[in-house]
Amino acid sequence: MKRKVLALILAGAAACSLTACGGSSVSAEGSQGTSAEGTTQMSIALRGGVYADVLKECLPAFEEEHNVKIDVQELSEEDLHTSVALNATSAQGAYDLCMVDGSWMAEFTSAGVLANLTELGYELDEDIIPATTSICYVDGSAYLAPYYGNVTVLMMNKANVEEAGYTTDTVDSLEAVLDICQQAQANGKKGFIYRGDSQNNLVVDFLPILLSHGGWVVDENNQPTVNSEEFVNAMNYYMELIATGEAQVKDDLVASVDTGAATMGVAWPGWYTPTADSAADYIALNGKAVPGAEAYNANVYGIWCLGIPSNSQNKELAAELLTYLMDPEVQYGTVASGGVPCRYSSLQDEEVLKTYPQYEVVCQALESGVYRPVIAQWTEFYTTLGSEMDNIINGAKTVEEGLNDAQAALEELMAK
Amino acid sequence: MIGMKKAMGARRETKRFSTAMITPTMVVLAVMTVYPLIFTLVYSFTDYNLLGALNGAPKATGLKNYLDLLTDAYFQQSVWNTVKFTVLTVALEMLVGFGMALFVNSLKTGQKIMRTLLLLPYLLPTVTVALIWRMMLSPNYGIVNRFLESLHLPVFNWFSDIRTAFGMLVLIDVWQCAPFVFLLLYAALQSVSQEQYEAARMDGAGPVRILFYVTIPNIKSSLALCALLRTIDSFRLFDKVNLLTGGGPANSTATITQYLYNYGIKTFDFGLGSAGAIVMTVIVLILSSFYIKRAIK
Repeated sequence: MKRKVLALILAGAAACSLTACGGSSVSAEGSQGTSAEGTTQMSIALRGGVYADVLKECLPAFEEEHNVKIDVQELSEEDLHTSVALNATSAQGAYDLCMVDGSWMAEFTSAGVLANLTELGYELDEDIIPATTSICYVDGSAYLAPYYGNVTVLMMNKANVEEAGYTTDTVDSLEAVLDICQQAQANGKKGFIYRGDSQNNLVVDFLPILLSHGGWVVDENNQPTVNSEEFVNAMNYYMELIATGEAQVKDDLVASVDTGAATMGVAWPGWYTPTADSAADYIALNGKAVPGAEAYNANVYGIWCLGIPSNSQNKELAAELLTYLMDPEVQYGTVASGGVPCRYSSLQDEEVLKTYPQYEVVCQALESGVYRPVIAQWTEFYTTLGSEMDNIINGAKTVEEGLNDAQAALEELMAK
Repeated sequence: MIGMKKAMGARRETKRFSTAMITPTMVVLAVMTVYPLIFTLVYSFTDYNLLGALNGAPKATGLKNYLDLLTDAYFQQSVWNTVKFTVLTVALEMLVGFGMALFVNSLKTGQKIMRTLLLLPYLLPTVTVALIWRMMLSPNYGIVNRFLESLHLPVFNWFSDIRTAFGMLVLIDVWQCAPFVFLLLYAALQSVSQEQYEAARMDGAGPVRILFYVTIPNIKSSLALCALLRTIDSFRLFDKVNLLTGGGPANSTATITQYLYNYGIKTFDFGLGSAGAIVMTVIVLILSSFYIKRAIK
């Protein structure tokens, strides 16, 4: 008898534990609902770091006004990408608002991950820098709003640049960049630092160089062009440039340039705040390979946009939150904490420029920036290209071999 | 007759009880292990894409994912890197861990303190370990390069240099996981009868003979278990690679898991990812078969 009772208890415990495994949808639904006090629960997914910090500081006012409690998830770029996609597979989504990188736009819109903001009554206003909105629309409807104006800049150590006979204002082409880095190397310092720790970073750090040579990774039909003459020229130049320095991770790159151990590197405004007294500064690349050459748009966007998942349980409220967060006044208020709104009213404001003169450079870079290709296969695209570039940089393949292999693999990818 | 009936009844009762005892474990195993494995196997024959599936059901693609994988030079290199890493780390961890266990076991005093100190690296989360080593080996402000510079020795960009990146991952894994081997072998050494050592010494055996004829034969099942556990764990290496090198430079540190993450998880191509997971499971089973056979015997 005792044995039977024990067996029954064990079986019951197993059944209970298994039932608990399948209970997530109920709890998720519950967490999205309204509590007894009438407080609505919302959940938002953000890119961790300064991008989330500036947004979070705006939330209390909205929470108080609308009687909502907002749960914020701060994730790394890759985790955010995966989380938003996984969330899309549920009928009832866990997120009401999420940050989206511009390069995810194509795969997200083709799978219906994002809600139509125009239908929800949200429109992008004219204060937003026009180029930053280029990927936000699909068939005339807005799906994203550019929130944090991340764009590549060229970070440099002022003393090393001056030692080479230049100032930050006279770095007028890639030729000058190479000259400065080679001189720095000759003086026993490191020249150009690039990030070699992932395929994404390898590709992104190279794109401004490629753009300055008039090349791009795809043509107007989204077919790969990574073995074009421009690409080969840019890669050859890049090999010469990175030979003056070495690969480092982001924190090391910033520290190296700041201390003067290294001279230059491609950076993002969120990484470093230059002041009049700081050892480093940054400029927007003017897109010229050599002085007098054609100037191309050479600054690559890493803008963090805001979108509403199409399976959000609180779409109307999320649209209100989005409208509030994108409000010019609210965005202006984030500047002091490191916010970079894609807005003229913030970036060209005299008071702002008095305290943060680098925003003039950021504004220029945002006006002439380029989004990464809006193709659904972008993740696989940059992984393949980055792997081949890694082979070239480390001498496992020649420039021609690596780029031809990348072209073949990418053509196969795009034909899928 | 009545006695026989009673005996049969008792046997049936015992059988029923055994079945009832095993059932919860079987159910949990079926749900947690068998179902995901079958699920993965089925999806490995499809073009299942997480976001693509929102627009339509995955299509069967036969062996395409397996063919794509096995003909991919990056996958082949990842398999080679993983096998190389596993063999090197397991061999080194067994040697270092065993050495540590013998040393601590031979101590007359301070065994407890030594045991705790030696275990510390294993108690740290892998992310912490990776960050500690990244700081120490930083080309910019790392203590290792500073030390080498002070000795006028060449310095390296440890995680970005194709000559050093793989070796650094091996070193870090050995540093972190040798204490696990130490712990298991130290416990096994404690259970070896002292009488055997005394008898060996009385027979004139030296330390080396005692090691090979007394110590190792007594703990060989623990050694096999350690090697099995470390083989399985090393084969699944992901976090250190992902945090420190991302598989580079030039794919020299890419493991199977890192490959699956790059080409299966990040791209939501779960069909290919599932095929990779199945290939990995088969390789682990093959590598572990020697130990499993021993365990079953």
